[in-house]
Amino acid sequence: MNKQGTLAAERRRKTIMSVVLAVICIIYVLPVLTVVINSFKVNTFVKTDTFAVPTGEMWAGFANFIKGMTFGNYPFWNSVKYSVLITVASTALILLFTSMAAWYIARVNSFFCKVIYYLCVFSMVVPFQMVMFTLSKTADSLHLNTPWTIPIVYLGFGAGLAIFMFVGFVKSIPLEIEEAASIDGCGPVRTYFSVVLPMLKPTMISVGILEIMWVWNDYLLPYLVLDINEYRTIPIHIQYLKGSYGTVDLGATMALILLSIIPVIIFYLICQKHIIKGVAAGAVKG
Amino acid sequence: MKKIIALALTLIMVFALAASASAADSGSVYWLNFKPELDEAAQQLASMYTEETGVPVKVVTAASGTYSQTLTSEMDKSSAPTLFVIGNQAGVKEWGEFAMDLTDTPIANELNTDAYNLYDEDGRLVSIGYCFECYGIIVNPDLIEAAGHSMDELVNFEGLKAVAEDIHARADELGFDAFSSSDMDSSSSWRFTGHMANLEYYYEERDAGGWTECPPELTGAYMENFKNLYDLCINNSLTDPADLATGGHDAENEFKTGKAAFFVNGSWEYAAVSEAVPNATMIPYYCGVEGEEKAGLNCGTENCWAINDTVSDADKQATMDFMVWLVTDPEASQIMVDQLGVLPYKQVPESTNGFLAAANEYAANGHYVMDWATNYQPNVDDYRAALVSALNAYNADQSDANWELVKTAFVDGWAVQYQAANG
Amino acid sequence: MRKGIFKNPLRRWFWLFLGPVTAAFTIGFVWPFIQGIYLSFCKFKLIRNATFIGFGNYVSALKDASFMHSFWYTALFALTSLVFINILGFAAAYALTQGIKGSNLYRTVFFMPNLIGGIVLGYIWSMIFDGILSRYGTSILLETKYGFWGLIILMCWQQIGYMMIIYIAGLQAVPEDMLEAAKIDGATKTQTLFKVTIPNVMPSITICTFLSLTNGFKLFDQNLALTGGQPFIIQPDGSTIKTTEMLALNIYNTFYNSNSASKGVAQAKAVLFFILVAGIGLAQLAYTRKREVQQ
Repeated sequence: MNKQGTLAAERRRKTIMSVVLAVICIIYVLPVLTVVINSFKVNTFVKTDTFAVPTGEMWAGFANFIKGMTFGNYPFWNSVKYSVLITVASTALILLFTSMAAWYIARVNSFFCKVIYYLCVFSMVVPFQMVMFTLSKTADSLHLNTPWTIPIVYLGFGAGLAIFMFVGFVKSIPLEIEEAASIDGCGPVRTYFSVVLPMLKPTMISVGILEIMWVWNDYLLPYLVLDINEYRTIPIHIQYLKGSYGTVDLGATMALILLSIIPVIIFYLICQKHIIKGVAAGAVKG
Repeated sequence: MKKIIALALTLIMVFALAASASAADSGSVYWLNFKPELDEAAQQLASMYTEETGVPVKVVTAASGTYSQTLTSEMDKSSAPTLFVIGNQAGVKEWGEFAMDLTDTPIANELNTDAYNLYDEDGRLVSIGYCFECYGIIVNPDLIEAAGHSMDELVNFEGLKAVAEDIHARADELGFDAFSSSDMDSSSSWRFTGHMANLEYYYEERDAGGWTECPPELTGAYMENFKNLYDLCINNSLTDPADLATGGHDAENEFKTGKAAFFVNGSWEYAAVSEAVPNATMIPYYCGVEGEEKAGLNCGTENCWAINDTVSDADKQATMDFMVWLVTDPEASQIMVDQLGVLPYKQVPESTNGFLAAANEYAANGHYVMDWATNYQPNVDDYRAALVSALNAYNADQSDANWELVKTAFVDGWAVQYQAANG
Repeated sequence: MRKGIFKNPLRRWFWLFLGPVTAAFTIGFVWPFIQGIYLSFCKFKLIRNATFIGFGNYVSALKDASFMHSFWYTALFALTSLVFINILGFAAAYALTQGIKGSNLYRTVFFMPNLIGGIVLGYIWSMIFDGILSRYGTSILLETKYGFWGLIILMCWQQIGYMMIIYIAGLQAVPEDMLEAAKIDGATKTQTLFKVTIPNVMPSITICTFLSLTNGFKLFDQNLALTGGQPFIIQPDGSTIKTTEMLALNIYNTFYNSNSASKGVAQAKAVLFFILVAGIGLAQLAYTRKREVQQ
């Protein structure tokens, strides 16, 4: 085979691959498109004409969205509010406290530090079902059952991975920079906030992304811990709509599902680079 | 960074506040309600009461099919429900030890009948009825007439079958069908696994001379009758039986908009249904049992209040006051009556519920009342879930083999769940 | 010791640096874990009236046909999904590292489902499957095989993008000169793939294999939302087996849906589940260690 032929074959191969990938890509988007078209469809047609574009009598306009706002006797915006609050507060809490702890563990390295560190590593392999019953009882007896206090539970149950990743990174930071700060008269607190923290930024982003994805989508922990009549996160609310209260309205449910995935997709498109890097980092280390 | 620290500090403060707030104890009410239909009214009553007296009332409604699950998890919490529901003898067995003895309490003295009360083995009054209800087949008389039939034909299974099959056969021409959809998703399946199943239990119970506690096993003697009515219902409806498993059909709406003449449900639907079909009425579960011309509606209750004995005395007192208020305050008891139908209390207003009126009329004409033997279902959520699964398979393929599975789930499943609950 | 320069001052700040995490970790993990182990040996309705009964709960758990069924079902599911997700994930990663136009767009799209939560995913796919199956007069709730493959499809949709990202990182780390050398030696594309590329991405393959295995075993939300265990097998004696119920859901149902007296059994199941999942984790650790030593 001459070089010309190889190149042509190569180009043909790439074209075929391109086409195949494009087709798969379209198939990949179809489920989301199905949600979109059904969120504008009258409930009774969602089952019978799932894949039809809503026209004529199928077209519900924004009725599903309007109904969805108060569907199931619970304002949808409340669950959005609580989901955002819990995700932001938990992530902030985890980032701040676990990075501090990780620095302490890596630098002091006492017996107690090692105990905590290995317990954290151990906690990463413990499935939630192992502790779900007792954790929800403990959280309840300590009044951690509100969106304002549940971040403490997340800090506790989610500390493992974060500590593990931060310790790994801190160990790779040369000691000299911190020593220099300390010679300049910085106490540990100032050293941490003005010297260590800025260096941790890449890991912070990775850990932050992983925690956001976990907390935002988590169903069982908040369901068991929160007082669910007052506080429902989005996953809890959607599960509740499907499993209760008279007739299930699939159209309205799809409208809410659409509303709940749009912000996620926007967030993803904006922070795509970080998200993909964070996921890769978390997986490789975990 | 300052912002993050500030946020963290705020969180810690909120946490501390939340912890201290619970220390104050002047008595509060936490009502764990198990009737989703009542939720809205219950929330309204709670805020009315708080406004009037300043006593905090929290109402939590368990999603349908999850009451026992919610109760189990709530009871173990530090702020456990003060007012909850023990609806049947199985409940008494499981939760009776946590219920206060209500004998001669103010709320018990307001009752006008002892018929719906539940006692434990030691004779303690653990739970008292707060309303009674009835279920059967809701009928739209206008549609029956429009199809050229008369309500007088609906006096036994043969009559019902003839009318339903005729309507179904001419559905296209008439513009409506016989039965509304009998969805098997969790929002609807209880109408069949809980209610329609009662006809089998009831006749079995009647043969046994009445049940006083959950029988360890069933004979299944009336399974054929259950099949009669069930088959009629799924095969003469708006929806292809194979399509019922995941639900999504709005049976109530089908009935209200005049697309279906029959709707299997209960008296709590009256308020919703009568808006659209003012003369809607209810007929018994006709299923081909000897002498069923004398049948009445299924009347009873699983709405019985119990007070949690493990909460503070102040909370118990507050709960008791709240209960008495619900059945004595003119405005509150009117709301209760509108929502629930008939309340067995001395001071509550007359009911306007047409279905309960039908139940009374049947009873007044000497028809037998089919009591709620369904309340004895052991491990009710598990038992019904198995039955739903078997009915799903049967709906999709109405073979004898699949009906055998329904029978197994219905009859043998009872014994298995009885063992699990009591063994 | 060089470290001593600020090691000592830092130690005095123990309460600030380590305190919050230690406290939360105790509440959120250590205490519930210990209490969970203890309760697995107890009979209880509410925690406060637990009585110690020894290994009885474990015996009941292992004798529970539904638990054993869910174990085998979960194992089968985890292995099947492992094969599909990894092969497809690797294929996607391989295709996207060939310098095809639009690779970034494809990568974006393939990863996207990963951000959607399990409950929401379950309901999206339950609508789609029923939209298809209802035309044939059936439903995903009626046949175990639909439930099984439905969940596999769902998990593939969700996880392929994730594994793809890890494989892309691995593929990009394959030394360029080795690929060049293979080309010069006249190796075909396929030969290069199996002889050079795959051995070089073995670490990624290990990670992804274990990751999808644990994900499969721990699956809960998607299982709950898609089929919730339906359909059931009604056994001749009247007991039921929820055919598509996986381990985590079985434990959950034993805790919260069954008779309240079976909580101890549920906790025992949870401990067994923990041992299983932790065992997979340790196997991964041991395996990676061994490889690191060899290299």
